[in-house]
Amino acid sequence: MSIVVADTPRTAPPPPEPVAPARNYLNETSGFWSWLLTVDHKRIGILYLVSITLFFVVGGIAAGLVRTNLLTPNGAILTEDQYNKAFTAHGVVMLFLFLIPSIPAVFGNFLVPIMIGAKDLAFPKLNLASWYVFMIGAAFMVWGLLSGGIDTGWTLYPPYSSRYSHASVTPGVFGVFITGFSSIMTGLNIMVTVHKMRAPGMTWGRLPLFIWAMYATSFIQLLGTPVVAITLVLLMVERVAGVGIFDPAIGGDPVLYQHLFWFYSHPAVYIMIVPGMGVVSEVLTCFSRKNIFGYKAVAWSSVGIAVVGFLVWAHHMFVAGISYYSALLFSFLTMLVAVPSAIKVFNWVATLYRGSITFQAPMMYTLAFLVLFTVGGVTGLFLATMGTDIHLHDTYFVVAHFHFVMVGGMVLAYLAGIHFWWPKMTGRMYSDFWSRTSATVIFVGFFLTFVPQFILGYHGMPRRYPNYPEEFQVYNVLSTAGASILGVGYLMPAVYLTLSLFFGPKAQANPWSATGLEWQVPSPPTVFNFEYLPVTVCGPYEYAIGVDQLGRGLPEPPGSGDDNPAAKVGPTLLPGPLPKETEVVG
Amino acid sequence: MSASTHGHHAVLKHHFDNLEQQHSAERLGMWFFLVTEVLFFSGMFVAYTVYRHWFPAEFQFASSHLILWIAGVNTALLITSSLTITLAIRSAQLGQRAALIRWLLLTFALGAGFMGFKALEYATDVHEKLVPGRMFQEEYASAVAELAPVDPAAAGTFQFKGGQQHWAQDLARRNNHLVPGSDGYVSPERVQIFLCFYWIMTGIHGIHIIAGLGCILWLVQQAYAGKIPKENYSTVEVVSLYWHLVDMIWLFLMPLLYLAGAGLHASGH
Amino acid sequence: MNGDRGPLPAIAERASVMADAFEPLFWYITFWTAAGFLLVCALLAWCCVAYRRKPGQISTPRILGSHRLELFWTVTPLLIFLTFYVWGVYVYDKAVHPPADAPEVFVIGKQWMWKAQYPNGQRVIIGGNPKNMTEEDRQNIGALVLPLNRPVKVTFISEDVIHDFGVPAFRQKIDVIPGRYVSTWYQPTKLGEFHVFCDQYCGAWHSLMVGKITVVPADEFDKFLEGKGGLQGSPNPVDGSLAHRGWQHFQRLQCQSCHMPNAGAGTKVHPRAPSLEGVFGRQVPLRGGGTVTADEQYIRDSIVNPRKHVVEGWEPIMPGNYGSQVTEDELAEVVAYIKWLRPGTQLAPNDRAVPPDGAPRVTPPPPVSTGGKQ
Ligand code: HEA
Ligand code: HEA
Ligand code: HEC
Ligand code: CUA
Ligand SMILES: [Cu+2]
Repeated sequence: MSIVVADTPRTAPPPPEPVAPARNYLNETSGFWSWLLTVDHKRIGILYLVSITLFFVVGGIAAGLVRTNLLTPNGAILTEDQYNKAFTAHGVVMLFLFLIPSIPAVFGNFLVPIMIGAKDLAFPKLNLASWYVFMIGAAFMVWGLLSGGIDTGWTLYPPYSSRYSHASVTPGVFGVFITGFSSIMTGLNIMVTVHKMRAPGMTWGRLPLFIWAMYATSFIQLLGTPVVAITLVLLMVERVAGVGIFDPAIGGDPVLYQHLFWFYSHPAVYIMIVPGMGVVSEVLTCFSRKNIFGYKAVAWSSVGIAVVGFLVWAHHMFVAGISYYSALLFSFLTMLVAVPSAIKVFNWVATLYRGSITFQAPMMYTLAFLVLFTVGGVTGLFLATMGTDIHLHDTYFVVAHFHFVMVGGMVLAYLAGIHFWWPKMTGRMYSDFWSRTSATVIFVGFFLTFVPQFILGYHGMPRRYPNYPEEFQVYNVLSTAGASILGVGYLMPAVYLTLSLFFGPKAQANPWSATGLEWQVPSPPTVFNFEYLPVTVCGPYEYAIGVDQLGRGLPEPPGSGDDNPAAKVGPTLLPGPLPKETEVVG
Repeated sequence: MSASTHGHHAVLKHHFDNLEQQHSAERLGMWFFLVTEVLFFSGMFVAYTVYRHWFPAEFQFASSHLILWIAGVNTALLITSSLTITLAIRSAQLGQRAALIRWLLLTFALGAGFMGFKALEYATDVHEKLVPGRMFQEEYASAVAELAPVDPAAAGTFQFKGGQQHWAQDLARRNNHLVPGSDGYVSPERVQIFLCFYWIMTGIHGIHIIAGLGCILWLVQQAYAGKIPKENYSTVEVVSLYWHLVDMIWLFLMPLLYLAGAGLHASGH
Repeated sequence: MNGDRGPLPAIAERASVMADAFEPLFWYITFWTAAGFLLVCALLAWCCVAYRRKPGQISTPRILGSHRLELFWTVTPLLIFLTFYVWGVYVYDKAVHPPADAPEVFVIGKQWMWKAQYPNGQRVIIGGNPKNMTEEDRQNIGALVLPLNRPVKVTFISEDVIHDFGVPAFRQKIDVIPGRYVSTWYQPTKLGEFHVFCDQYCGAWHSLMVGKITVVPADEFDKFLEGKGGLQGSPNPVDGSLAHRGWQHFQRLQCQSCHMPNAGAGTKVHPRAPSLEGVFGRQVPLRGGGTVTADEQYIRDSIVNPRKHVVEGWEPIMPGNYGSQVTEDELAEVVAYIKWLRPGTQLAPNDRAVPPDGAPRVTPPPPVSTGGKQ
């Protein structure tokens, strides 16, 4: 089979001198207000990083409570009411305050301008505003959680949430409403930036796949979030005023809420994976020294997921009283939306083929992503199949499915991204040994936590149940044990990354010998990113030729690490005429 | 143009290469924002459509008790304001500062007029207790109680409050001697659903108008301070895009809310 | 049965035709997805081992992709997924379309209990949190009884929030929505007791909104529907007993149109006669002073000659002609039934949870909605 060879760039001049400038975005100005009033996209990215890390700890503590309570069939430590509030807090905080802003707000902000050769996002003030809006929304949610808690589940189904719950639902919902606007602002900013701010030569076909992924994500944020916003307004009106349109007592329809909610929240689950897929494309190519296999397929499948993802929402409602024919349609469309993900997975695997693979921490996390996301994705197919969803709906099978895609997928991609770009963001390297160890511990702990939940779900254990029949106990204990390992795994990066800030060796501009524009600026970057106008001459992943996107040669890639020091003796780059030959696959 | 404007205009922001890029980014940003706005309202429109389909009689009834003339006047005001803001763009393009300020102020006045009438309408509605919830239920209950002793045969001679057909009495009379759910029965609960839509949709639209008015005032101030030179007319354009959208949404709200009851001859206003 | 609390079996307990339809599909999907997953893992592992960086080796071939391969791994998964879809539709279709001739049971969900009503009007609480029930409900906690190998249609509605009636052993589940009827059906294939879970989060005691389904042989179920059987959890006298037959005469003679349960406490209907629950053995105050012990003789007298003792506080309106309508045998059975009646055991006229229009309801109240011959 023949493959396509793109127009090859000219020659590769030697790599730029690794200059470490005295001034960078971190030390250019200092003081409290220089951070809180910054309009620098990189600093805003860091603000987000700090905030969401905090919320991850909060959500994690709630997860700890949930898992500990499930150790015994009648609740080990919490009352029913406390348990309900714990899992709601866990879901709401993890989704709205951690996962949705994770990659888009941290890396989207930090990297998108640099990757396309721009000085900043199109609307820097709007960008800062988005962080404030996010924090205000978060404050409302925290208020809701502290002033009595929220006991509705993150899905907030009426009429329970609107007419029956006595908990502090209104501030919580209001907080979710507000953080939605932050998400819209970020998405809008990124979309405009990608459209209008690309440096010369950075054509659509040369965009890094991370940018494509962020573009698709922003599209979802822009189209989906307003719908859930208005839905939440309607819900709040019903709750506050005592009348509304979902309350069946006055002829309203509670199922309509579910339609409106999932119209956003299904696409939202792709907000929670597509950016991760972008990160994976970056890391995988870099650590296998390969061009991405099928750039177009990977890029367009992101867009495909974003578009078709809007047409499948009612697969959450197969047993919720929707009509037979709409169930038929939505199940079918869900099968279609699963295909682009499958394409991506296979393209990634093919990228590794004949590569020169090393296993530094970002790569370890990415490989873990591939395995776990595939499990999460294929179990989605059990739920998309109507006949099986009848039984599996609202059981632990669903819980396990979404943790596999969200935690095994997105959180691991996020960690891969953190490890990949940490030197760029902070200018420091972290411990190679501990970072690989943490990836391994997380991978093992994750399996132990969530595989038993598939079994529980298959046997019918319902979700949101603090009391369960005794025969389910064994698997619950296993799952809790796994969660403890997982917690330790998460704790490790917190420690060694923090330590690296103070004791880590200084990072090179391009420690991984990667091709993206972000690696052609110093680590950490200067305030305006580029001292010159970067002119892109080729696509993003020319590892085989050994040139970056500016057409310059790459520095020596890090060896295969501790286990293979001999690798370090290889040639620095591949000068001379570029291969014009067509490579043959298979 | 890019190179020459770079030096002497403070309007070019540091991270753009040239004004053209800056303006097209701003315009595109606003377009994306408008898309978001459309989807924001679309959720309500979908819900409205569903319920109207389910409860046509109640929606017709409730709609017929809204104040149609105010909606009419307000429509005229908004359409005119769309024209004036477009004229403002033209003035900005031509660099006519005085005309720009004039048109902007006129637009502001029209928008403020809209809000004034809206306030009047809301006040009337509240006064008539056309507010879903306890107010509505009590008013309806008292109308039913008032009606109860009247012999159905003598319904025609029944005296309405102030000689007008108040909604509660209208509703009570329609439902007199009808079993809930039977033909012709207008469910007060569903009437309240319509009213929920009415208040939420017009309320959110009103908030958008107020935001737009704020933006226009800001433009006036900018123009006054000379910060809207010819090259930077796109600022006005961006605000006008928003204003047109708010306008358009009203053009959808107006028939959905006020004209739904057009076939029903009942309103005393 | 999971009641023995053993470890979970590899294949979850199956007890209905839907479960039999579910399992092959489930394992079919498991087979393909596991195959896909293992393929991905194997390829990953192979690449990671075979193409790990060799000493001195950095250069890699410049492979950009292959449309043919991509087409292959677009179409193949799609086709596999579509087989899931088609089979899934087949199973779902079966699940949502009850056979036309199935008898219908009506189930009401409310925070936090399930109440069932059979075609014969008999009611039972299937389960829920006892802490939050009335005394009467608590006494009625039993199981939803279903016949073996016979389809039963179940129609659901909720009184408050959304619940979900899930029966893992039947692989069936349905959201129970306020203001709307939804139906599903069960055809059990195994005798025994099975979990009912509320699968839709519904508030504080969502996890206690659990109950039981008991599957009994079909003929037992039939007898019960004809009013002859007393099933577990039902407040009716045991099948075949004197009291049971007396209960049927009590229905036939319409005694319950005046003698309602517990003197109508909390009911809108004004009772016209004293409640007969727990009357046996009690000291009855008589009009004009004095009391009498309610023994068999007194009860027999009260039926055949009601004017003999008139209870204090009640008008003597009880018809005097019952003596001619029953044989002595039957009279003995009626007396046995009244002896059996204890507080809370007479079925109430349905005023508290009147099923809305269209609900399965064989005997409208009044008379009291228990079965028997009309
Ligand atoms: C990151 C988030 C995320 C992602 C990416 C997905 C991805 C998918 N989800 Fe998931 N889902 C959630 C988050 C997510 N989901 C959440 C949070 C819920 C629960 C919400 C709640 O109720 O609280 C949920 C619930 C949920 C339901 C409703 C279940 C129920 O409540 O009854 C369904 C039903 O269709 C579903 C389906 C799918 C499908 C088909 C995909 C697909 O996109 C997956 C596609 C991927 C693959 C298929 C893997 C790659 C494929 C291969 C490697 C090929 C293998 C080859 C063969 C099998 C031949 N999901
Ligand atoms: C980003 C999303 C995200 C993430 C990361 C997680 C992470 C985890 N989740 Fe969560 N989960 C959800 C999203 C997420 N979850 C959602 C949306 C729901 C549905 C809610 C609903 O039903 O409404 C849910 C529900 C849910 C349930 C079901 C509850 C129920 O239905 O009754 C369970 C049960 O096991 C669970 C467990 C876990 C565990 C063990 C982790 C682990 O991965 C977490 C491990 C982390 C830690 C253990 C903490 C890490 C430690 C530190 C950072 C150090 C500091 C800590 C201390 C000092 C203590 N989750
Ligand atoms: C028209 C109404 C009416 C019907 C029908 C009726 N009863 Fe009565 N019954 C009464 C009233 C009123 C009393 C109390 C006054 C009295 O003692 O006569 C009473 C009293 C009794 C008592 C004594 C109760 C006590 O508290 O001591 C018994 C026993 C009794 N009825 C049995 C029956 C039986 C059995 C039937 C059906 C075969 C029946 N009744 C049908 C109205 C009725
Ligand atoms: Cu009822 Cu959960
Ligand atoms: Cu979904």
